Amino acid sequence: MHLLLVGISHRTAPVELRERIDFQTRGVDLALRALAERGAAREAVILSTCNRAEIYAACDDVHGARTELARFVADFHAVDQNSLTPHVYDAADLDAARHLFRVAAGLDSLVVGEPQILGQVKEAHAAASDAQMVGPVLNRLFHSSFGVGKRVRTETGVGAGAVSVSYAAVALARKIFGDLNGRSVVVIGAGEMGKLTALHMKSQGVPRITIVSRTMAHAARTAEAIGGASAAPWDDLDNAIGASDIVIAATGATAPILTKAHVEAVMRPRRSRPLFIIDIAMPRDVEPAAGEIEQVFLYNIDDLQAAVRENLARRSSEVARAETIVAEEVDRFGAWMKSRGAIPTVVALRQRFERIRRAELERLEFKLSALSPDARARVDEITHLIVEKLLLTPTEQLKSLGDAETAAAYTEALRRLFALAEEGSASSEVERDAANSKVEPFTRAKGRGSR
Amino acid sequence: MNVLLLILYAAALVAYVWHFARREPAVGRAATTLLVAAALAHTFIIGMQTMEVSHVPVTNATTAISSFVWLLALSYLYTEMTTDERAMGVFILPLLVALQTIPALRPMIEARAPLLQGPLFGIHVLSLLFAYASFALACVIGITYVLLFKEIKAKHLGFFYARLPSLQVLDRMNQRAIVIGWVFLTVGIVAGAIWARTYSGADPHVRAMSLQDPKIFVSVVCWIVYSFELFAARRIGWAGRRAAYLSAIGFAIVLLNFVPISYFIPQSHNF
Repeated sequence: MHLLLVGISHRTAPVELRERIDFQTRGVDLALRALAERGAAREAVILSTCNRAEIYAACDDVHGARTELARFVADFHAVDQNSLTPHVYDAADLDAARHLFRVAAGLDSLVVGEPQILGQVKEAHAAASDAQMVGPVLNRLFHSSFGVGKRVRTETGVGAGAVSVSYAAVALARKIFGDLNGRSVVVIGAGEMGKLTALHMKSQGVPRITIVSRTMAHAARTAEAIGGASAAPWDDLDNAIGASDIVIAATGATAPILTKAHVEAVMRPRRSRPLFIIDIAMPRDVEPAAGEIEQVFLYNIDDLQAAVRENLARRSSEVARAETIVAEEVDRFGAWMKSRGAIPTVVALRQRFERIRRAELERLEFKLSALSPDARARVDEITHLIVEKLLLTPTEQLKSLGDAETAAAYTEALRRLFALAEEGSASSEVERDAANSKVEPFTRAKGRGSR
Repeated sequence: MNVLLLILYAAALVAYVWHFARREPAVGRAATTLLVAAALAHTFIIGMQTMEVSHVPVTNATTAISSFVWLLALSYLYTEMTTDERAMGVFILPLLVALQTIPALRPMIEARAPLLQGPLFGIHVLSLLFAYASFALACVIGITYVLLFKEIKAKHLGFFYARLPSLQVLDRMNQRAIVIGWVFLTVGIVAGAIWARTYSGADPHVRAMSLQDPKIFVSVVCWIVYSFELFAARRIGWAGRRAAYLSAIGFAIVLLNFVPISYFIPQSHNF
C-alpha cells in the first residue's frame, strides 16, 4: 500500500487556475463520488481551499494512480490536461505525509502559521470519511496531521503575532486594555478606511462606536452602514475623544487635525486612563509628538506595518522548530507504515498453515470417514487449535517488535522460510481482508504513534 | 531543612525562567508544580517549628525571613492560580531564592521568649510579613508594567509584549496588591504600637522602643509612601507608570528594612 498526493497550490499555480480547480464550487462530495467511481484509489481525501486543491490517496500502484488522479482533476474540472500538468505536483509515501503535516501546521500556507488551514484539513477528512473513502491508512495519516498541527501551534511561535494591520491594531488594543468589551471607539472621518477598521473593531467585541466627520450627514451614513454605531458632530470631537478609549483617525485632511496640545487638553481630565490612537490617514491626522504624552499610545499605519513585518519575521524564525516537529511525526508515521507492511506476511503465513491443515485432512479423509460425525468435528477442531497455537507466539513476537527495521527483517525471514512469495501475489486482496479481519496485528501493535 | 527548601525554590526558578523563555506549556506546569511542592514543604517546616515553640517562628530576623518567603510564595501562587498568568513567576522566584539563602546559610533556633507569645505580637509580625509579601508582588507587577509600557511606547512589540498580560490588568493587579498590603501594614504597625505600650513596664528593652529606632522609623516611612501611592492613584490619577515606580520604591524600602537594617544596624527592635 502506498500513499500518494497530487495537487496544485499557491506555490505552483496562479489564482486563475486555482479558481478553476476549486473542488468546492461543485462540492467535494460530488468529486469524491466521481473519484470512487473511477476506482483510481482505494482511499482518498480531497483538500480544497482557495489556496490549494490536493488529493491524498492510498493505492497499490503509485505510477498508475498518479496518472489517473491527474487525469481525474483535469476531467472533473474540464481543464485541458496539458495546460494543467506544469502546475501539478505530486509526492509519494513519506513525502506525501510530510507535505500534509506541513500543510496542517500552516508551514505551506501563504501566510506562515495561519490558523484556518487545520480546520480545513479536518473538514476534508470528515467529508471523505462521510463518503466512506477513508480507510486505515488515510485515517491514521490525517489524525497524525491534526496532532502535528496542534503540536506546532502550542510548542512553537509559528502561529503567534498578528500578521495584518487591522489584527495588529486589535492585538495592541488588547495589550493595552485587556478585554475590549466595554471599551469605546471614536472614528474620525467617514471614509472607507475608517469604516473598515471600525467594522473590524466591532467584530472584535468593541460595543460603542462613534463616527465623527466634518459633514454630519456623512458621519450618520457611515454609522448606519456599520450598524449599532452613532454619529457625532465635528464640534463635539473633543468630548467624543475624552469619553473614548480608542481613536481611529482616518480623514483626508492635509494638515494634522489632532495636535499635541489638543491631545494634552483632552487627556487632562482623563488622568491616567490610557488612550490608544490609531492614525491610519495618509498624510497623518495626528501630530507624532502627541505620542510623547503619558498614557497616550499613538500608532500610525507605518508602525502597525512594522509590527506586522516583525511578527512575520518572528514566525519564520520559528519555522525550523516546527519543521523538527514535522520530521518527528513523519518518522513516527513511517514506522507505522512499515509495520503495516508485515500484515500481508502474517496473513499469508496463516493461510499457508490453514491450507496445509486442510490438505492433510483431505489426505486422511479415507481414514477419518470411519469416524462418527461428532469425532470428525473434534478432529477438525483440534487441528485448527494446533495451527492457532503454533501461530500465536510468532504473531505476538512480531507485534512486540519495537522498530520497523527489525520488523522488516523478520517478515523477510518469514517469507523465505515458509516460501510465502507465491502467496504474496494475492497480497492486495490479503491486505484488504486484513483491514477488516481479526488478523490485523499491526494496526494496533505499534501503539507509539497513537494518541 | 532550609537548604532543601532553597533547592526546591531554585529548581522552580529554573523552570519558570525556562518557561518564560520558551513558552512550553508542559514546562510551565512543571514550574508551578515545583513551586507548590516548595510551598508545601515550607508549610510543613514552619508548622513543625510552630508546634515546637508554640508560636509562628518570626521572632528573629532569619526565621522572619523564612516565614516571609513562605507567605510570598503562597501569595504568588494564589495570584497565579486566580489570574492564570505565569509570567510574573520569573520575577518573584529570584527574590524567593535570594531571601531563602539567608535561612539556608544561617540556621537559627527560634527563641521561646514568653514576652513574644501573646496574640498581639503574632498579629503584629504576621500582618507585617503579609503586607511585605503583597508589596513584593506589587513591585514585581509594577516592574512588568513598566517593561511592557516601554515596549508599547517605543513601538517595539517584542519579548515582553508576547509574554505579559495587558497593561490594564497589570495596573489593576498592582492596585489590588497595594491596597491589601497597606491594610495589613496599618494593622501590623498599630498592633505593634499597642503591644509596645502594653509591655513597656515588663521589659526595659520594650521601653526603649521609639520612632528613633531605625526599623520602626523605616516602617513608618513605608506606610507614608504607600499611603501616598493610594492617595495619588485615587485623587490625582497617578495610576499606571507612576504607581508602578512608587511600588518599586516602596518595596526597595521594605527590603532595606528587612535585611540590612535587621542584620547590620544596632537597634532596640531586635531580640
